[in-house]
Formats: sequence, structure tokens, C-alpha cells
Amino acid sequence: MRRYLNPVTVGGLVLVVLTAAPLYWMAVTSFKSPVEAGASPPTLFPEDPTLDNYRHALDAADMDRYLFNSVAVCVSSTVIVLGLALFAGYALARLPMRGRGPVMVGLLMISVFPVIAVVTPLYLVERELGLLNSHGGLIIPYVAFHLPFAIWMLRNSMLDLPRELEEAATIDGASVVRTLRSVILPQAGPALFTAGVFTFAATWTEFLMALTLNSENDFRTIPVGIAIYGDRYQVPYGVIFAAAMAATVPVALLVLVFRRAVLSGLTDGAVKG
Amino acid sequence: MSLRRRSLLGAGTGLGLAALAGCGAGSGGAPDLARAAEVPRGEATVRWWSFPMATNDGDDLRRLLIEAFRSRHPNITVTTVDAPAVTDISRSVLSTAVASGAASPDLYMGDVAWPAQFAHNALALPLDEVVGEDYWRAYPESLVHALGYRDDTYAFPFFADQAYLFYRRDLLDRHGLDVPASWEELTVAARTVQRAGDAEYGLVFQGAVYEGLTANVAEFVADAGGEILNAEGTRVTLGGRSGERALTFLRDLVADGVTPRAVGTFREQDSTDAFVGGRAVFLRNWAYVWGVVEAPDSPVAGRVGVVPRPGFEGAAGSGNGCLGGWCNFVNPHSENPGAAVAFARFCAEEEAQVIMVRNTAYLPALSAVRAGAEARRSPTPVTALADEVRLVPRPTRSPHYPQVSKALYTEVNTVLSGGASPTEALERARAGIADALEGNAL
Amino acid sequence: MSDVPSLTRRRARTGWLFTLPALVVVAAVTIFPVVYSIAISFTQVSLTYDGLRVEEWTLANYTTMLASSAWREALVFTVGYTLVTVAVELVLGIAVAVLLDRLEVGRGWLLALLLIPWSMITVVSAQLWGYLYNATYGAVTWGLGLFLDEPPVILGTPAPAITAMAVADIWKTTPFVAVIVLAGLVRIPAERYEAAEVDGAGAWRTFVSVVLPALRPVMVVAVLFRVLQAFGIFDLPFVLTQGGPGTATQSLAMLGYKALFQDLNMGMGAAVATATGLLVLGCCLLFLRAFRSHVDEAGEGSTA
Repeated sequence: MRRYLNPVTVGGLVLVVLTAAPLYWMAVTSFKSPVEAGASPPTLFPEDPTLDNYRHALDAADMDRYLFNSVAVCVSSTVIVLGLALFAGYALARLPMRGRGPVMVGLLMISVFPVIAVVTPLYLVERELGLLNSHGGLIIPYVAFHLPFAIWMLRNSMLDLPRELEEAATIDGASVVRTLRSVILPQAGPALFTAGVFTFAATWTEFLMALTLNSENDFRTIPVGIAIYGDRYQVPYGVIFAAAMAATVPVALLVLVFRRAVLSGLTDGAVKG
Repeated sequence: MSLRRRSLLGAGTGLGLAALAGCGAGSGGAPDLARAAEVPRGEATVRWWSFPMATNDGDDLRRLLIEAFRSRHPNITVTTVDAPAVTDISRSVLSTAVASGAASPDLYMGDVAWPAQFAHNALALPLDEVVGEDYWRAYPESLVHALGYRDDTYAFPFFADQAYLFYRRDLLDRHGLDVPASWEELTVAARTVQRAGDAEYGLVFQGAVYEGLTANVAEFVADAGGEILNAEGTRVTLGGRSGERALTFLRDLVADGVTPRAVGTFREQDSTDAFVGGRAVFLRNWAYVWGVVEAPDSPVAGRVGVVPRPGFEGAAGSGNGCLGGWCNFVNPHSENPGAAVAFARFCAEEEAQVIMVRNTAYLPALSAVRAGAEARRSPTPVTALADEVRLVPRPTRSPHYPQVSKALYTEVNTVLSGGASPTEALERARAGIADALEGNAL
Repeated sequence: MSDVPSLTRRRARTGWLFTLPALVVVAAVTIFPVVYSIAISFTQVSLTYDGLRVEEWTLANYTTMLASSAWREALVFTVGYTLVTVAVELVLGIAVAVLLDRLEVGRGWLLALLLIPWSMITVVSAQLWGYLYNATYGAVTWGLGLFLDEPPVILGTPAPAITAMAVADIWKTTPFVAVIVLAGLVRIPAERYEAAEVDGAGAWRTFVSVVLPALRPVMVVAVLFRVLQAFGIFDLPFVLTQGGPGTATQSLAMLGYKALFQDLNMGMGAAVATATGLLVLGCCLLFLRAFRSHVDEAGEGSTA
């Protein structure tokens, strides 16, 4: 019993409650009728649960198409970002190139420029190149704008990997690529995982570019799809939350089912036992 | 490396300047108005940026209109592109696309507050030459005024929207009160009901930091006999006794507890929710609220009445209602301007407007239909009363209207939250609006 | 090191080979838009049927901006908001990471739960919080109303509105910091803990002298990119408060968005964006300097 009653477990419980409470509220509201959703005092549990919100959310818009677009764009972007960032991050951390500092700062400079101001010129370019309203038209900017973080993340976490193995491999005459594959990659798990989750989450939730660059229904992503709900005067909370649930639950289930893999992705390569 | 970077930067700068020099965007030249005036004979497809508009039986008005149009012009196909629900988001996508010279959408639905700004920025086709200046006589004067900029008109009317006063008939009856004929009477009636514990709030309206507050202020200023800008939208006229009276009244509503403090965060939905949830006696809101009030699961269904807004005692006008609604703009870069004009025009004219009255709760824009028998016999009182509301335009004739509006609603919002006196707020709003008119505001 | 010079050179060449693809992609996509915006910020442009026309090259956008009280207020708000939220998120994030590291039961579940707010679409989470804070039927409003004389108008008064926005932000982004820190935490070699134990250091001393220094490289990344995000905050105030009450929660990005897309004032919007970018860059460089994470010296400096 003592095992479960320590500050860590109690802290964990507090954390669960704080994180889950708003989510619970979203879930509950998605089953409430509009009138009950606007009731005061609010009801902790739907008195008269209804699936209308879900029906409306799935009928009114092409949620399945938006979901497909989102998955296609976000998965491709994430894979490309990780691939490019792994090599770049390793090189910038370990290989003796001159001018690594300016490159790192340069990457940072790209990230500091507010997205709002970049959208219009990007639109111009993509129009010239015929990239508007396509998956590629989103993947390319997503990759470019999320690479800096991934490179920084990977590079900084590779900085303090022990050098001994790597040096041994170099002395053994292993090529850089082989060193990277056999020595660095197994240890880069947590950083790759973090960068991957970050890129996925950032592209999954990105709104402004997706809205502007892909304005045709066929290529809209989930965040834009959800912005189509409602009208000028009403924010249909129930319907939006139902749509958000429909977009979140699959991801959440995946993470839950693979929570061990997620955990080991994060902690693999741990030097500590 | 530094050299390579410099040359990349150089290339980038070159590109940037090249685009700036004007070869980047636009399909060239002023729009061909003669071509726009002609309905094409051959096959044509136009894309219409629009939002879904529910009919009484759950269909989409857009489908009905496109079908009716198709029977007149079988060679023209109209397809819809769903616009985002939030007006500002819709504007940002449209302005980016059209300013970059995109040919699609060929025509788009826009707010009646947009024409001056869109005309000023070459985002809409000028229409006087296309349809003739007399064309606009069939529409309410304040609507046509809103659609114009300088000497031309830039959008076809589609549907109107206007504000009303909704009231709880059952509560007024219970206390033997009449429907208030003035704001002063309304305050007294609200207090009576509130004191008896029958409702928490007296009057609710929209007071958040957004366009909706500007609409409310425009109405109250008009009630007090003033206006915000002169007719051409070039000079501030807000102020003096009318401005003072309007803002003082708003402040007192909150200070006396007739209106809750929370009104400073209220948009249309929050105020409607408070009213439909039975917490308020009176609600100022747009026509759509009737549908919400009378919905099958509404707790107040059958217990609500609606009238044009009252006025101030001793002041000239009553029955003012802010002019809202949406119109259809034609994209100046459209490859089928003739077909786009034909459809936008169709939506503005009698056949489409009658379809609208018969099948939806949207208010028609065409004067003859607004005042016509069909509208007056409508079971929906907001439609039946449509022609009795005196439409108050917002000061949208300025191309800098968004900044004008912002200067106004930001200051009035601080009055509602008790952060500034009406006099101070009025002074600051005047200064802010003057800056905005010069294009100097941020 | 026993590298022969030619080996070093070859390794450097491989390094560029590895780095260039990423740099080319980033440069190809971002340089034009950034340069374009910076150029526009020095012009007065007008939109015509032929496209964008430069009326004149001018500093007027910047002088107007600097003289504008709206800009100064937005600046103060954005800087203050960034400092506070990032500091809170860093402290909480480290605490959560340590907790996750120590937790013996349900680690996977907790981690999975934490990923949900983070991967939630900001527009939706903002709406969720807006619903919770709603002045008439919000759950938070109602809950606070039980302890206060009357239910508060959270989003209608400046201080509570800013706090409420920060809470929503912290709820969503603390997991981001926590996961980054956790990824660094699990890689601290056990020997370092053991060494500290041998020295007789308590838990707190161990944390300060072993854990924190080891976390520095990842914390630098977490803080840098959180600062970037917080400084550019847009979706949240756009949906939650629209910058109100008054202008209390108007961020620089919102101001820029309004200039660009509401007022269609391209030059002014670009000026706001450029100034914001410069400010953030300055902050980041200062921060890097302060953390003495000399980017130039790569690994050598930071592991010591």
C-alpha cells in the first residue's frame, strides 16, 4: 500500500485531474443538447445524452476527407522533417564544419518571423508554381518551417552523447553514414521521438497556412474543416466538440494502445538502467 | 558559407523586389466591364464562395437558387465553395486570393460592411456600368449606400439582416406591463420584473470587443439623433449630446444592474443563450434569433414577442435597426465575369428573393419583396416586420472602416466594464476614428 | 584527437552534405516570403487591378507604429505574457518530467494523457476554454461563483482575462516542455547520481548540481522555441478574447494580423511582423548568450 501512497503518485493524480478536467468537459458537452450545454449551473453529466452533435458534425462536413488530408499532410511532413533533421542535426553536432554557429542562428532567424506575414508571399509563390490546393502545397512549407526546431532539438541532444563509441567506430574506419546508423541512431530515439511528436502536433494543429493555401474543400485539413461549422452568430459548441472528439479519439486511442512503445520511444537509449 | 548565404539572400531580395515591381500578381489591366455585362452563350462554370444557408426544411438555400438559375441559364454551371463561418477569417482568405490575382472564386458572398474597403483595394468589380445606375433603385437606400464607394457600386444585394428587440411576453403580462415604447420605459419594466425575481437580467445585447458592439452603438447613437461619420464617410460626427446620451445610457444600464457586467464579453450567441435560457427579459439581436427562440427544444418557445427597437424619450426616431446582411461581389479577375454577374444578379432579383422568403428565415433585400404581401403574411414576425425597421447603416463608407469600428468598439467596451466615463471614451473614440480615417491607425 | 587533417576535411565535407538538403529546403521556402515582407514593410503599397503597386519607399509604417499606443500596449502585453507563461511552463514542465521519470505506475497512461492537450487544435482548445470561462454558463465561472459573492466575469476584466488566457496556454503547452525535458532526463548517466550520493548530496542538491546542468542543452531548445511560440501567440487570443477587454490581451501577432487581413494595410502589417521578428531574435540571442550555450563551439562548451 505504501508503494502507492507517496508524493510522486499523489502528484501524478493531481496532474491527471488537472489535465483531464477540461477534456472531460469537452467530452461531456459533445453529448449535450444545445440547451443543456447553455444551462447554468452546468450539469456534470449529460441529463439527456444525445448523439445529434456527432451526427451533425459528420454529416454537415466531409470530416472523413479532412481527416484523410490531415493525416496525409502531417505524416509526410513529419517523416521528411525527421529524415532531413537527423542528418543535419548529427552533422551540426558532431562533424567538424566551420560556420555551424551561423547556421544554427540562421535557422533560428527563420523561425522568429511571424507566420501571419509569410502567408501572403507564400500564396503568391505557390500560385506561380501551381501548388495551391494540393497536399504538396502544404507539406513543403510545413517541412521548411518545422525543420529548424527538429534540427535544434536533435543537434542539442546529440551534443552530449558519449563520444567514445563514435570515436572507436571512426578509428575502426567506419564511414560517417555507418557511424550514424549503428552508433548514433540507437541513442537518438528520445530526441527523434520528441521532434517527431512536436512536428506532428504542430502540423496537425496549423491553421493559417492550411486555411489560405488550400481553400478548396477537397484539400482542407481538420482545423480548417472545423472552422466551417456554425454560422456568423452561433458557435455550436456541442458540434465543434463532437468534431474535435472525432479528430482526437483516434489519435488518443493509438497513443494509448501503443503507450509502451511511446514510452520506450522516449526513454530508449537511456543510459540509466 | 557566408558567401553562399549572402548570394541566396541576394536572390531572395531580387525576387522580392521583382514581385513588388508588379510582375508578380494580377492578370493585367482594368476589368473588362463590357464583357462582364454580357451573359455568355456558351458553356461556363463559375465558383461561388458562400456559406450554407438552411431552409425551413433543412435543405440548403444555395441549392434551390442554383437550380432555379439553371432553368433560366442551362449553359451556366454554378458550384459552391464553403466559406469559413467566421466573417473575418473568410475575409482574410478572400483578400489574399483576390489580391494575388486568383480567378477563383468567380463571385463571393461578403458582409455589407466590406464594399468600400474591397472597392478601395481593387478586390471587387465596379457594377454601375454593368447594370446601369438605375438598377439600384429597387433596393433600400441605406443598403445601396452601404454597397457603394465614391461614384460606383461594388456588390449585388443578397439578403438583409437587421436588429430587433425581443421580449418575454409572459413576464410582461404577469406584471401587467406593456411592450415598452422607449428605452426609459424599458428600463422601468426590466427593473420591475427583476425585482420580483422573475429574471436575473433586464436587457442583454452585444458588448464584446468586436464588430457587433459597433452595430449596437450605431443604433443607440441614431436613437439619440446622431451618427458616427458623415454620409461620405470622411469626417467624424460622433459626439455632442447624442453621443453622450447614447453612451451614458449604456453605462447606466450596467451600473444599475439592468444589464449584467458580463455584457462586455457578450457576442450574439452569449446574449441569445442568456435570453433563451430564461435569464433575461429583453434582448437586442439580429433577426435569426426568432428561429432559435421558436426551436422545438427552446425553453421559452411561444412566450416571446418581437418588435422594432424603441427610441429615446423626446428624441426623433424610434424603430432603428442596424443594417447587416450579405451581398455578392464579383471577382475582377474572374475568367467568366459575365456568368458571375448573371448569377449574382439573379440572386438579387425577384425570383430568388421570393424563393428566399418562402423557404428560409433570411430577410430579403429587394424593397418590393420586403414590403410585399408574401413577406407581410409570413408566419415569422421578423420577416413580417422587415419593412417597418428603419435601417441604420454603420459607417462603412470609409475604406478604413475596420479601424474606425475598432476605435469605436474598443472605447465603448471600456465604458461597459466601468474603465472609462462616457465623456472620456467619446473623446478617445473620436480621436481614434479621426486617425483611422487618415489611414494612420494601427 | 588523432584526426589527420585530410580526414577532418573529409568529415567536414560529409557534414555539409548532410546539412545542405535541410538548409536548401528551408531557404527555398522561407527566404522569399521573409525578404518580401521586410521589403513591403518599407513601402506604402496599394492594391490595384494589376496587382500590388508600390506607391513609395518610406519609413512611415515604422514611425506610425512606434508612435502608436496600440503597438506599445501590445508589446508590453506580449513580452510580459511570454516571460510569465514560459517561466511557469518551464518550472511545471520540469516538475512533470521528474514526476514522470519517478512514477512507478501508469507512466504510459499519464504520458498518453499529456499528449492530448498538446495535440489539440488550438482553435478548438481556445473554444473549449472560452466555453469554460463563459460568463453565464461556464463551468469555471460557476465554480468560482461558489466561493465568491457573485460569479466573476472572467474574460471581461483585464487581469482575470490575462490570467485565464495564460492558464489555457499553460494547460496546452506544459506537456511540450515536459516531454522535451523528460527526453533529456532519461539520458542522464546513473553514475552522476551515484557520484552525488557518494558526496552525500540531498535530493535537492542532486537536482540542482546534477540534473539541471545535464538538462541544459534540451532546456535551451525548449525555452527558445516556447519563447518563439509565445511571442507569436495568435490563435488563442483571436478565439478566446479577440484581444479584449479593451486591448488588454492584444498580442503583437494579432495586431499584425488585423493590419494585414482586416485593414488590408500590407505595409503596416509587414512592419509589425518585421519588428516582432527582430525583437524575438534579439531576445533569443540574448538568451543564448546568457545561457552561455555558445552555438559556435558546438559540443565543447555545453557538456563541460
